[in-house]
Amino acid sequence: MTTPAISIRDVTMDYPTPDGVNHVLAGISYDVAEGHFVSIVGPSGVGKTTLLRLLTGLATPTGGEIQVRGERLTSSPEGLAVVLQDYTRSLMPWLTVEKNIALPLRNAKLSRAAMRERVEESLAEVGLTGTDRSYPWQLSGGMQQRVSIARAIAVRPSILVMDEPFASVDAQTRFDLEDLVLKVRDDFGITTVMVTHDIDEAVYLSDEIVVLHGKPAAVRDVVKVEIPFPRSQMATRNDHRFAELRTRVYGMVRGLE
Amino acid sequence: MMRVWRWILAIIIGAWLPIVFITWWWNASAESTNPYFPPLSVIWEQFKVNWIFELVPVHVVPSIRNLLVGFLIAAVIAIPAGTLIGASRSGTRYVEPVVDFIRSIPPVALVPIFILLLGLDAQMRITSIAFSASFPILLATIEGVRSTNLVVLDTAKSFRLSRSAILWRVRLPGAMPTVFAGLQVGFQIAFVVTIASEVLGSGFGLGAFTLIATDSFLIVDAWTGVILLGILGYLLNLVFDLVERISLRWYYGQKKLS
Repeated sequence: MTTPAISIRDVTMDYPTPDGVNHVLAGISYDVAEGHFVSIVGPSGVGKTTLLRLLTGLATPTGGEIQVRGERLTSSPEGLAVVLQDYTRSLMPWLTVEKNIALPLRNAKLSRAAMRERVEESLAEVGLTGTDRSYPWQLSGGMQQRVSIARAIAVRPSILVMDEPFASVDAQTRFDLEDLVLKVRDDFGITTVMVTHDIDEAVYLSDEIVVLHGKPAAVRDVVKVEIPFPRSQMATRNDHRFAELRTRVYGMVRGLE
Repeated sequence: MMRVWRWILAIIIGAWLPIVFITWWWNASAESTNPYFPPLSVIWEQFKVNWIFELVPVHVVPSIRNLLVGFLIAAVIAIPAGTLIGASRSGTRYVEPVVDFIRSIPPVALVPIFILLLGLDAQMRITSIAFSASFPILLATIEGVRSTNLVVLDTAKSFRLSRSAILWRVRLPGAMPTVFAGLQVGFQIAFVVTIASEVLGSGFGLGAFTLIATDSFLIVDAWTGVILLGILGYLLNLVFDLVERISLRWYYGQKKLS
């Protein structure tokens, strides 16, 4: 049995509020297998983003623990990159695209030339070659989110964590970005965890879907998506298994099943 | 081409009131025999004698030098200090009441105290300027750094940037629009204190010139000093705006698009 990429062990999260303690997560346990694409879905406000902040080491659970490759998480771990929903804020508006992507490379101690090369490669991977001198706010929403994906993969992470990465772009751009994420995952063999409220998207992208439900939230079910890769927007979404899974997950999220 | 026209139009719109005012002043004062309000034509003749460019090295250069040196010292001290204080939760709580208290004292009222402490030389003047200008810069920097967007902060932390990199490369640059608002106020205060600090015990500088002229009943000279002060203040503000526009190009560019 190999060590999972991320191991969530009996994690609970409580927030003190003026009206008493707010129990957000209760006893979440789940292992993210190496190389898998895992989506976390659940109704709004269930605590998906809280769980994601715990996975990235931006917050510490009040109970239980999270391990990345067998090591207990205490702060943001090496080899893990994050893409947040709000690209207008997560990209630094005072830096050009090139400098934004180079920012997390500061720790890598690369030479100037190596750093440039890494930035160029990352931009090419997301199809944005030639935008390095633009400012992020000069680009469209979809392009900005591509930049944040490029910035994430520039550090050559082995784990990519994304919080509703495509929530604020139009439908066509969303499809393109979904396929881009699958390509990136193939090219680099990255283990990916994504929080989303879009069930179609979760089914389309994932190996496994974790459904959170309840207050405090617990793992309602883990759904395996046994549709073979490579997937395509046309064929996969017309597959009868896609429709069945979507209906099933939708029912669980709504608490109907 | 459109931009040039818009630019010219903006100048015309901005200039008409001053032109009307100067024309009115010129005509209304033309026959004046009141010693306190000499004809503008007389003031203008004396203005050319004094300030193009006979007295500029004696009276304008020291004032501008004190202003710029004092202002730069204020910025160089207040921006890093404000960044450190703004990033620390307890720092803000401890420092802010003290800063607010000192800031509430009119800066000009502090000049006599600096004279007592430091005497009457240029060093005293520069110290008063730097001291008075630093408070708005300090407060603006604290506020700007403290209100760093949480998404920005999370992103920087997830990159495992060091604390100092987060402070100087993420929080401070993001706070620069707010810092510049403080710099602008600080610059205006620095200008006022520059002139006020020359009123006592100095033979040089525009403030000294204007005061001495008034005391010696050289009313026309005093008028030329006042007018030059107005022109200088206006030009310095233009330069400041230009520096701000260039430094915050990203900020104005983004604002224009949204």
